[in-house]
Amino acid sequence: MIRVVVADDETPAREKLERWVAEQPDMAVVGSAEDGLSAAQCIARLRPDVAFLDVQMPTLSGLQVAAQLEPSSALLIVFVTAFDEHAVNAFDLNAVDYLLKPYDRDRFARTVQRVRERLLAHESGAAAVAIGRAQAPACERLLVPDGERLQLIDAAAVEWLEADDNYVHVHTAARSYLLRRTLQDLLTQLGDQRFVRIHKSAAVNLASIGSLTPLFKGDYEIHLRNGRVLRLSRRYREALFARMGR
Amino acid sequence: MNSLSPPPSTNAPPDYGAAFFRKSTAAFWALWVVFWLLMMGVAIEDQLRSPLAQWWEPILTEGSSALIATAWMWLAVRVRGRHARYLDRPLRWFASYLQWLPLVCVTWIVAVYAMRHGIYAAMGRSYEHSGWGFVIVYESLKLTYNAGLWLGVLFAIDSYGQWQLQWRRLLQTQKALAEAQLARLQGQLRPHFLFNALNTVSALMHTDVARADRLIAALGDLLRISLRSNEHEMTPLAEELRTLELYADIMHERFRDRVTLDWRIDPAVLDTPIPALLLQPLLENVFKHGVERAVTPVHILVGASCRNGALEIVVRNTGSVLAPEHRDGVGFRNCRERLGIIYGNAASLLVRNEAGGVAAHVSLPLEETVA
Repeated sequence: MIRVVVADDETPAREKLERWVAEQPDMAVVGSAEDGLSAAQCIARLRPDVAFLDVQMPTLSGLQVAAQLEPSSALLIVFVTAFDEHAVNAFDLNAVDYLLKPYDRDRFARTVQRVRERLLAHESGAAAVAIGRAQAPACERLLVPDGERLQLIDAAAVEWLEADDNYVHVHTAARSYLLRRTLQDLLTQLGDQRFVRIHKSAAVNLASIGSLTPLFKGDYEIHLRNGRVLRLSRRYREALFARMGR
Repeated sequence: MNSLSPPPSTNAPPDYGAAFFRKSTAAFWALWVVFWLLMMGVAIEDQLRSPLAQWWEPILTEGSSALIATAWMWLAVRVRGRHARYLDRPLRWFASYLQWLPLVCVTWIVAVYAMRHGIYAAMGRSYEHSGWGFVIVYESLKLTYNAGLWLGVLFAIDSYGQWQLQWRRLLQTQKALAEAQLARLQGQLRPHFLFNALNTVSALMHTDVARADRLIAALGDLLRISLRSNEHEMTPLAEELRTLELYADIMHERFRDRVTLDWRIDPAVLDTPIPALLLQPLLENVFKHGVERAVTPVHILVGASCRNGALEIVVRNTGSVLAPEHRDGVGFRNCRERLGIIYGNAASLLVRNEAGGVAAHVSLPLEETVA
């Protein structure tokens, strides 16, 4: 059985999708969401095979939901949108599945067929994630797990990121969150405006750096404004200095 | 060096506002006549104190001066269209006139003194004045001073005309721009709205044929109105509200569980003419920022009433607030520009946080429009 999550903020549109997915003999709607954040929560909790994401939704757009996933994620995403020339062009270029509203049964059937083929071929959702990252506006908010739920935090509130195998500790002033992502992937998603790598296993928000103290062999100590001390390895020194305007 | 000769013309000479020049020419000459009458009056009064002087002597003195000065001034005024392009470079403008001053001085002194000597001789008297050296220096200085003064007046009048002309052109450009923007705005917003509405119809068809039917009818009516309303710019408030209602009906069908609408319209203002499609962008904004981005139910209020001789329209929604760094989008700017063009400063559009939501207030004068 192919497990499907459906997300659209408009009830008639969502119900139509749910009904048509449920009509497929090999598909089941395991969850549905009325906004981007609950869609992300559904995906994290239910681990579906396929997600139909409306592009325009409150809290997070469908593209932003995709942007928060790891490229290696097995989830197949079908974007649903009414009119968004840019996104549609990008979908076409990357052969990502999408449905243009309004769509009929034939069009829907074609999409479903493509989904089945991709699942059989064990394709990843990388293309959809890449599209999400490229098309969604600069990632100012980060989706982090908070117990059983997901929540959105401002990227600006993150002080530093600490890699831990395939996880990343996201440190804010108030608390830390554990994200099942690689540091490199998270940095790619956050863009290089705010964060800069300081170590193989750490990155820091430029705004939270208080001072730098040189050590031997070209390494430095970074003193964060909150008092924490981090190690800047000389491999990343030049990049950091360049970003700080030195 | 002769800067009066026309510059090598690469394109058609710009139009410096023929209408304004005609009107201001009359004003300039009126001022000129008043000036010379005053001069003559002062000279006559001066001469009356001298028992030996004849009544015609001051008239001859001032008259001869006025005659030649007027001839030169007439020339200066005639060629000012050619100088208008230098108005934004005052030094250049004055220089192009003042280069003729030596010639003016020579002709003026020769002509005026010849006239005076001639008439005195005809009356059997002799015209007495200081030595020629003094006359030439004294009259040249006086001419320079007066030329500066009157060229100043001419410069002021022409600069003002130029400014007025440019201002009027700016206004026309802005108007054209606002119209183009309106057209573009409609082009921008409609596809998204239309495709979503069509999708709602396509979804409802399978569950509720009557509702789908109503939705298609509303969509048809709205399309008809939006296709038509570009032609005439003003429309009765009642009609604009009907457009809002159709739009709201369609959006309500899409977001049925998330939005409630409330209309508070004073029947007395229904016939007031307002710019067509002025209010629709405001309601579109409410749906775009208030409803489509909210997860909680949103309440929308549309109100219209007459207050202090003005038509007050409010479109308010709960569920969203303007960020502190909020800047008006193209929809609001467009509305504001249209209001400015039609009503001048008499109309206003304010958007602010109010009662836990956002409210757009439009105020239009009830008297006839300025445009």
